[in-house]
Amino acid sequence: MDNNVIKESYLSYRPCDIMVCVMARLIENNNTVFHGVSSHMPMIATVLAKATHAPDAVHLNIPGGVDPEVTTLQKYTSAGSELTQGSVCDFPLSDIFDLSMRGGLDVAFLSGIQFDNKGNVNASVIGDYHKPKVRMPGGAGSAVLIPTAKRAIIWRTKHDKRTFVPKVDFVTTRGNIDKIVTPLCVFKMHKGELLLDSIHPTSSIEEISENTGFDIRYIELKYTKVPTETEMRALIRIDPQDYRNIEFEKK
Amino acid sequence: MSKLMNIQSAIALIENGNTVGIGGNVLHRAPMALVREMIRQQKRKLKIIKTAGAMDVDMLCFGECVESVDAGFISYESEFSLADHYRKAVQEGKVKANEHACYTVMSALRAAVYGIPFMPVHGLMEGDLIEVNDYFTRINDPFSNEQVTVVKAIRPDVTIIHVQEADENGNAIMYGPKFDDILLAKAAKKVIISAENIVEESRFRLSREKADIPHFMVSAVVHIKKGAAPCSCAEHYDIDRQSILDFKALKDKEQLAHYLTQYEKADCR
Repeated sequence: MDNNVIKESYLSYRPCDIMVCVMARLIENNNTVFHGVSSHMPMIATVLAKATHAPDAVHLNIPGGVDPEVTTLQKYTSAGSELTQGSVCDFPLSDIFDLSMRGGLDVAFLSGIQFDNKGNVNASVIGDYHKPKVRMPGGAGSAVLIPTAKRAIIWRTKHDKRTFVPKVDFVTTRGNIDKIVTPLCVFKMHKGELLLDSIHPTSSIEEISENTGFDIRYIELKYTKVPTETEMRALIRIDPQDYRNIEFEKK
Repeated sequence: MSKLMNIQSAIALIENGNTVGIGGNVLHRAPMALVREMIRQQKRKLKIIKTAGAMDVDMLCFGECVESVDAGFISYESEFSLADHYRKAVQEGKVKANEHACYTVMSALRAAVYGIPFMPVHGLMEGDLIEVNDYFTRINDPFSNEQVTVVKAIRPDVTIIHVQEADENGNAIMYGPKFDDILLAKAAKKVIISAENIVEESRFRLSREKADIPHFMVSAVVHIKKGAAPCSCAEHYDIDRQSILDFKALKDKEQLAHYLTQYEKADCR
């Protein structure tokens, strides 16, 4: 999208804007926050949180930058040396994992290919593990970070019946999920079950039901808070190239 | 003792069937020139070790050099999508995908570094990876008698790394992110280094900034400008988008051979 168009219409938001703002708001001030490879949306959400309500959140990443002063994001990577620029310390990935193992990582942003309503995550294969129909990239850190991070937040830009399934083909990891953020809604784990937490104002409960392979259950029906003008202005400044939308462009 | 040699002699140190650790992370500072030479020398049945790999592992699978891949993640990132040759090779049963969490690769390498047969890893208790892979299991903690999950040590026969600077003895330094390269080097029996620049040993002796990898662990040093290209090398160059796209568009082994030829002069000077 043309930058000028975004600038002129900072109050018109897309699912990618809502998703990034939701992820940013889930970061609390002073939280230690990690995102990995192929993670433009959480990378931008972390920078957004630090620029708005959570200035003391600690941004951790694969190249090992601690609170980098990110001036130029890269389109092709969320693990490049730009995330060490202006950083105060080298804290490489192995240190971040160690931190999570001993209970010191507050937020880990992760993804996957399939999810079911028991909180099972599949990032490994479609079909049999040893003779897969489709070999996926793999869970990267998920298998050890989802069980150990204080809050594991998942984002997925596909919300359809192949993604949200009655039962995943393979359990890469399970359980300790805080939220799942999609283009249609936010899910939360509640007593071992994935429940609808909020509906994005750009979607509806009907659309969510039609695109989810398990029954939608909720405690209270509510809408996701829309991005504020402050958030949208900060987003456009942080991400002028609109990389928060690249996962949608691919489709 | 100088270990400076040409790329052919360096890669000749790798034998078919070796376990090979590869430095860098996704498209960053991957030792691509060394990888290309492994394909030219038609290495076979290699067991590849990497935390998060992309073009390096994809190309080695395309070149039919690989028997298995132990890794947490094999894919290009957002812009360049999936590692198609790796996926195809796994789906056709030609390559065994040993899925780890990136951390379990590190833990397996740490076990090798410490000279012990396995390493406890927290967090693996959940999920199926521990059930389907023979390199993970559960043991009793002899102190508390509670169960802990463990990963088997991985000791690469050879680790290949691309760095910005090395001296001819093998002292090597990386600028920018170092990823898991030092761990991969310490865990391995042999280390092959390619370097953008060959510097004098005094560059380390007289500087506050010391080498990351000491000479006595290194078996070969190769001077290769743009040795990580088309991947990035911090402070030297960013990715070569067109070359990555060209590679991803290759259809067969003849086209791959032609693609490798384009780099041959730079790699093998």
